[in-house]
Formats: sequence, C-alpha cells, structure tokens
Amino acid sequence: MSAYLVSMATYAGFFMILALALNLQWGLTGMVNFGIAGFYALGAYTSGLLSAKAGWPLGLSIPMAIAAGFAAGGLVALLSMRLREDFLAIVTLGVGEVIRLIVLNEDQITEGPRGLRIEAQPFQSLMAPENYPVFYLGFVAFFVAITYWICERIRKAPMGRTLRAIREDDVVAGVLGKNVFRHRIQIFAIGGGFMGLAGALYAHYSQNISPEVFMPTVAMFIWMSVIVGGAGNNRGLLIGAGTVIMFLEGTRFFGDVLPWLDAETMSSVRIITIGLLLIVTLRLRPRGLLPEPKFTYTRDKIAG
Amino acid sequence: MSFHMNRRSFLAAGTAALLVPTILRAQESDIAIGSLTPNTGGGAPFGPNITAAHKRVVDAVNAAGGILGRQVRLFQENSETNPETAVRAADKLINVNGVCAIVGTFSSSVTLGVMPKCQAANVVQMCTSSSSDIPVADEKGLVFNFQPLSPIWGRAIGELVKSRGIETFGLMALNNDFTRSMMDGFIEIVGQDALLNEPFYYNAQQSSYRSEVTQLIEKNPQAVFVPSYVTDFTAVYKELYRQGYEGTVITTSLSTGPQFKEAIGGAAEGIVHGFPVPAINSPAYKEYLVEAGLEASDSVQHPFGTAGRDQLTTLLLAIEKAGSTAGPDIAKAVWEVTTGEGKTTVYNLADGLAALRAGKDINYSGASGSIEFDEEGMVLGRDFQLSEIRDGEDVVIERLEY
Repeated sequence: MSAYLVSMATYAGFFMILALALNLQWGLTGMVNFGIAGFYALGAYTSGLLSAKAGWPLGLSIPMAIAAGFAAGGLVALLSMRLREDFLAIVTLGVGEVIRLIVLNEDQITEGPRGLRIEAQPFQSLMAPENYPVFYLGFVAFFVAITYWICERIRKAPMGRTLRAIREDDVVAGVLGKNVFRHRIQIFAIGGGFMGLAGALYAHYSQNISPEVFMPTVAMFIWMSVIVGGAGNNRGLLIGAGTVIMFLEGTRFFGDVLPWLDAETMSSVRIITIGLLLIVTLRLRPRGLLPEPKFTYTRDKIAG
Repeated sequence: MSFHMNRRSFLAAGTAALLVPTILRAQESDIAIGSLTPNTGGGAPFGPNITAAHKRVVDAVNAAGGILGRQVRLFQENSETNPETAVRAADKLINVNGVCAIVGTFSSSVTLGVMPKCQAANVVQMCTSSSSDIPVADEKGLVFNFQPLSPIWGRAIGELVKSRGIETFGLMALNNDFTRSMMDGFIEIVGQDALLNEPFYYNAQQSSYRSEVTQLIEKNPQAVFVPSYVTDFTAVYKELYRQGYEGTVITTSLSTGPQFKEAIGGAAEGIVHGFPVPAINSPAYKEYLVEAGLEASDSVQHPFGTAGRDQLTTLLLAIEKAGSTAGPDIAKAVWEVTTGEGKTTVYNLADGLAALRAGKDINYSGASGSIEFDEEGMVLGRDFQLSEIRDGEDVVIERLEY
C-alpha cells in the first residue's frame, strides 16, 4: 500500500509542475494553453531520446528538455501577437497535436507507435532498487518546490502585477506603458520550460513512453487541477493537482468494494463519479479550493 | 449554502481517503490476480469479451473449491487502451491488491508500459500484443504473449491472397505497431514488385481519409491491403466505396466484425479478410462458445475473448503445478502445463486440475489455439483463415494450417 501511495504522490508531483506552469500562463496572464500534452511530450522525448539514443548523461538531457519546452513556448507565444483567448486556445491545441503526430510518425527517430524504452534513471546506481521509488518522490518534490518558489516569486514581484493587469485587460496594460507582447512571450516560455521538465521527470520515471501517453486528455487533467485548486493561487494548485489524482485513482477502489459491478459498468461508474466529484467541488467552492487572494487596499498606512 | 473547509481539514480528509484502501487488500488466503483490459478507447470492441472470459474462469474455479485450496480473487481494471492510465492501474493492482499476475493487456504500448513495474515486482504478464520489443524488454522471462506476432499475420494473409492470383497491390496501414509489422510481413510474401504505390501509414481518429484513399488507389491496383482496426477501417472503407474502387479490398477480420457490418451494410460485399483462427473443431473452442452463449458459425467470434479464457486457464494451471504464487515459479510452470509432447491434452481448467492432482503431466490446448510457447514466451503458430463477406455473412474461402 505505501508503495502505491508513493507512486501516486509522484504522479501528483508531475501534475503539480504542469499545473503551476499552466497557472503562470492562464491563471496569472490569461493565456489559454490547451497544448500542455505537447509540451509534456516534447520534454519527455527530448530527454528520453538524448539519454537513450545519444547516450547523453541525465545531467545534460533533463536541462535540454527544459530548454526545448522553453523555446517551443516562446515560439508559440509569438502567435499570440495577433491571437488571443479562444483563438489562441485552438492554436495551442493544434500545436499539442502536431507535436504528438510528429513523434508518432517520425519513427526512425522516436520509435513511433512502438514506444521508446529509457533505461536511465537519475542517481540510480547510488541506491538499492527497493529504495528508489521513495528517492524519486523526493527528487520530484524537490523540483515541485523549485517550480513553486519561482512561480511565487513571479506572482509577488512587480512583474506579477503587470501579468494580472494583462489578464484583466491587455489594452489598459498597454496604455499604461507595459510591453504586453514581451511579457506574454516570457511567461509562455517559462511555462513551457516547466512543462518540459515535468515531461523529462515522467519519462525517466515510467521508463517507457509512447505517443498515446500524450493525448489531449492530459491537458484536461491539468485544467481540472487548476480550476479545482483555484486559478491564480499557486498553493491552491498543489492541492488541486493532489485532489484530481485522488479523484482519478480513489475511484478505482469502487470495484474492490462493490464486487457485483462488472468491469465494464465499473469503468463507466468511475468516470461518472469523477465528473460528479468535480461538479460538487465547484458547486461548493466556485472559485476553487483556495481562491486567489484579492488585492485589498489598506488605507491605514497612508492615513496614519 | 454554507460549507467551510480549511486547508488542514482538507489535507486530513484527503489522507484519510487515501488510507481507506488498506482494508481492501485481498485476504491473505486468497490468490489475487489482476485483469487489465481495454474496456474503453481503441481496444473497446474487444476488451469486454476478455474481461468476461477472465471472470467466467475464476467463477468456475472458485465454485469448484479454488486453487491450492485457496479461493481466487480477480481484480479487474480498465486500461482505457492508454499506457498512461494503465501504468497507474497496474500500480494499484501490484501494490494494493498484491496480485501475482496481470493478464489481458491488449495494445503493445500498454503491455510495454506496465512492464517495468511488473518486472520489478516479479509479476507475471499475459497479453495479446504484437510488438517484437516485448521479448526484448522481458528481461526476467515473465511475459507470455497469446497472440502470434503480427509479421506472421501479414505473411499468412499474403500467402492466402497470392494463391488467388492477384498480381498488383496498393498498401496502406494504420500507424501502430501491430498493423505496421503486419504490412512488413505481407510485403515479404507478395514482393516489392507487386506494389503499385509506396506503402504508407495513416493516423487513427481522423474523420475523413479522402486524400489517403485517393493516394492508395491512384494507380488502380487489383487489390488493396489495409491492416487496420474496426473504427478507422469503417471510415477508410466508406471512402473507398465513395471513390468507386472496384478491386478487392483485403484487411484483417478484426476490422470486419459485427460493428463494421452494421455500419456498412450491403456495401461490405466482397471484402476479403484474414485472421488466425482457433482450430474450429477444437473441443476447447466449442466449450468456449457454450460458455459465452454463442452459436457456432464460420465467422471468427470473440477473437480476444478466447485468448482471455486461455490466459486465465493457463495461469491457474501453472499456479497449481508450481504450488506457489511467486512470479518466477509460475512462469516456469506455464511452459510445463502448455508446451511439450507426450503429455495428457486437456481443454479446460477442471480437467487440467483433475489431471494435475492425479499426478499426470498435462498440455493445455486452448480455445484460441493449441497454446505452445517458444523459449521467449511467444505463442507458436496458429491456423489462419481467409473469409469473404457474401450477403452480409463471412464465408470461409481458404484455410492455412500450421
């Protein structure tokens, strides 16, 4: 059982990094990204291919995954010069699918549909295999912490205020002299880099990746995490990602306690329940479990 | 509505919810087995048959007193034909339910995806997959594949259609490992010269295959071969029909099941399709039809359901033979109960158990084939059958016996 909790917590870690990245892009800046799975795939395949095929050490291949996500994020943001909101959403969804289809079809490089096996795992030789899952959880937690720290710094900095202004009304932000376009590119690139990191961590954890892993449903899970947790609030997201994993995985146990349901009915019941739990959560907490704190203006300091 | 939950109570409730499953672990006395089948997604037309077959075998054995004096508990999970979900489901089966084997995985990416976890925990895997990477990745010798690798399918279909005097072919395949390797096997037999177009792959889940089909029949080949699954083949065939193609359409019987015939109706006339078939006269196959409540016919019925029955039967016989639920012991016993000559042939679990308990050596012959494994755990050849759709029914036109 504890081994199971450790591996679910590791999965929650991947979701948390992705959710923090999406929060930068959407929660803070208002840029819709439905192509999360594509950036995730890009990171996973960059690090996976560099280590499995080119023999690079993980100390280089994982940073390369971050760089690939960063560059791809910046390029996609260039499109946002003329596109916003729903149009950007369609473009990012397309970009995600394009990345997946390239991975699927360029099989001389990526092994295509048969999937890529990756032997390398970070610091594998330093410990006994039975301790490795716990170590990896710590490893992922470390990156979650770093990502969280960076995201919080951005949110609290003057840049964070600018981003929120862009989210609420980019014309006003522009009129006030903020370079809206540059901020958008920066934030999309940083978010893309985090998604690449999450992909690399996933690839070396699961040791077997194939294009089917990176279907657009992954993006939906991350959106669920952000909406349930509370858009704009980084702490809320961590809880949101954990909650979504709990909904997805906890419902598996129905089958064990309700043995009269056959497997087919069971899987439908499970998916219905996940939907219901989301609806109930959002009915009770419409702005998420931990909503974004509203900026309050305190008079006292000036008046005093 | 007033509802207040602070962070602490939320975390406490979350942790408590995650700990509930501790009580769900199988009782120590039960033998836990995991069934991980594609009940939704790409494998959805086949998964439910596999699931049902697994459950029937377990119910029957429990009613008859179980294995090694213990009851068998089957934990069923849906892989959603998606390796990402399947890995988490396998994690639950292994670490929470404590299963000794995971049976029923269907697509290669799922079988390969859960393999690192299974190997680490010494869990036996039984699958119906096609990738030639499976024996390579199976470092501990714990994986048994109940389906011939797909180049064998391609070669067999190639042999069968060649003997019908067709000389020129157009080729395209769904882009997945199973169908791609089938195409390679087919080309090996008919030869590059017989191909009028450069073979190419198409992607699943497109709403239209117009340009693909145009390219396929551009040089008007006598026949086209399209290794595929039912969903995409339905769309491809509609387009072939719309463009007025008059040659022979060849595919696998997987693509032309009841779901296809219902969608296409009379236009399906003349499609030729091939499939590795159970020896239709085998007692095990006849028993399967009765168990599943089916009528005997020329069509290939429940292609993967029969394999599901064989997986669980083989597994339980092996556990009885090994007298243990440790993965490596089971894997060794799988060969002993399925492969080798001069043993008592059995066709179902009850007879097999009776023979084992009487101290005999047995060789299980299954509903999906005779179930003999090579040293890598891949099932050896099966009979192959080529059928044609006439008046909405499958009519057998040729059979290749191994």
